[in-house]
Amino acid sequence: MAASSFLCNFLSFLLPTKPPPTKNPPPQLSATSSTQHQTRKFGDRLVPLVAQEGQPSSTSSSLSTELSSVIFPSLAYANTLFFKSAYNVQVIVDDNEHEERLLNRFRREVMRAGVIQECKRRKFFENKQDEKKRKTREAAKRNRRRCAHSSQDSHRKTSRIPWQTRRKKRIIGIYLKEIFPIERILLNLL
Amino acid sequence: MAKPIPRTSSRRNGRISSRKNARRIPKGVIHVQASFNNTIVTVTDVRGRVISWSSAGTCGFKGTRRGTPFAAQTAAGNAIRTVADQGMQRAEVMIKGPGLGRDAALRAIRRSGILLSFIRDVTPMPHNGCRPPKKRRV
Repeated sequence: MAASSFLCNFLSFLLPTKPPPTKNPPPQLSATSSTQHQTRKFGDRLVPLVAQEGQPSSTSSSLSTELSSVIFPSLAYANTLFFKSAYNVQVIVDDNEHEERLLNRFRREVMRAGVIQECKRRKFFENKQDEKKRKTREAAKRNRRRCAHSSQDSHRKTSRIPWQTRRKKRIIGIYLKEIFPIERILLNLL
Repeated sequence: MAKPIPRTSSRRNGRISSRKNARRIPKGVIHVQASFNNTIVTVTDVRGRVISWSSAGTCGFKGTRRGTPFAAQTAAGNAIRTVADQGMQRAEVMIKGPGLGRDAALRAIRRSGILLSFIRDVTPMPHNGCRPPKKRRV
């Protein structure tokens, strides 16, 4: 089966990580994760194999469920996870999850998907002027957040120090490169 | 076309007629429609056939109070109480719409003791479809 060989390659990538990501090209093979926030439109009914622990799958698959879950862990879910309705966000609930934690998880997923924001925007008509204003505001917010984020991480040494210090460091580096080649290797790591 | 044969319609108050009361449904779907002015909670079976429903308006709230989270909580509690004694153990929750009732209804459902399989948000999103109404100038 070509699909199974494809899956083998796919699974070797997937196995060390948690339940597989949702962006799978063939829609039937997308297994569930604890949260999925893309719009999906599939054909059949969902049989919640994941949510019900220990209950055997009711679909008829050629391989038994236990065998397929060992060989192809994501294929075990593939037959059963066709969703009838399109959804924006899905949160799978464990039975012993605390109420507040569940709520927070759901709220966080919804915020990430931007559902409520989108609803408010579409409530009333927005002419071109308002749309442009909104887009610039969003872009400004995103850029500001990205700048603030990356400036903490790694851009300090090139962008923040003055050019004289940078020049001095470069000269010293070249000097060290000539005299002590081993230092060059160590300096390259910094 | 021939005239349709007149039929006496069964009395509908949002519930299935009483002779089907003995139907045991172990698994169902709870739909929560949370708009800005109201919250409607409908309990259906997995196929989508309605078992019972309740809303903030039917719980006695009127006007602006229908949109509050407390009203959503009572509506959810009301809807589930009818269904819990029909033996529903597991349920999925489908939440639709922006509104304050989303979290409150979810909390009430969780607290009612029904096991939840999934919580899904099924707010309908147009891919830039119909033109919405004009902006309010209040």
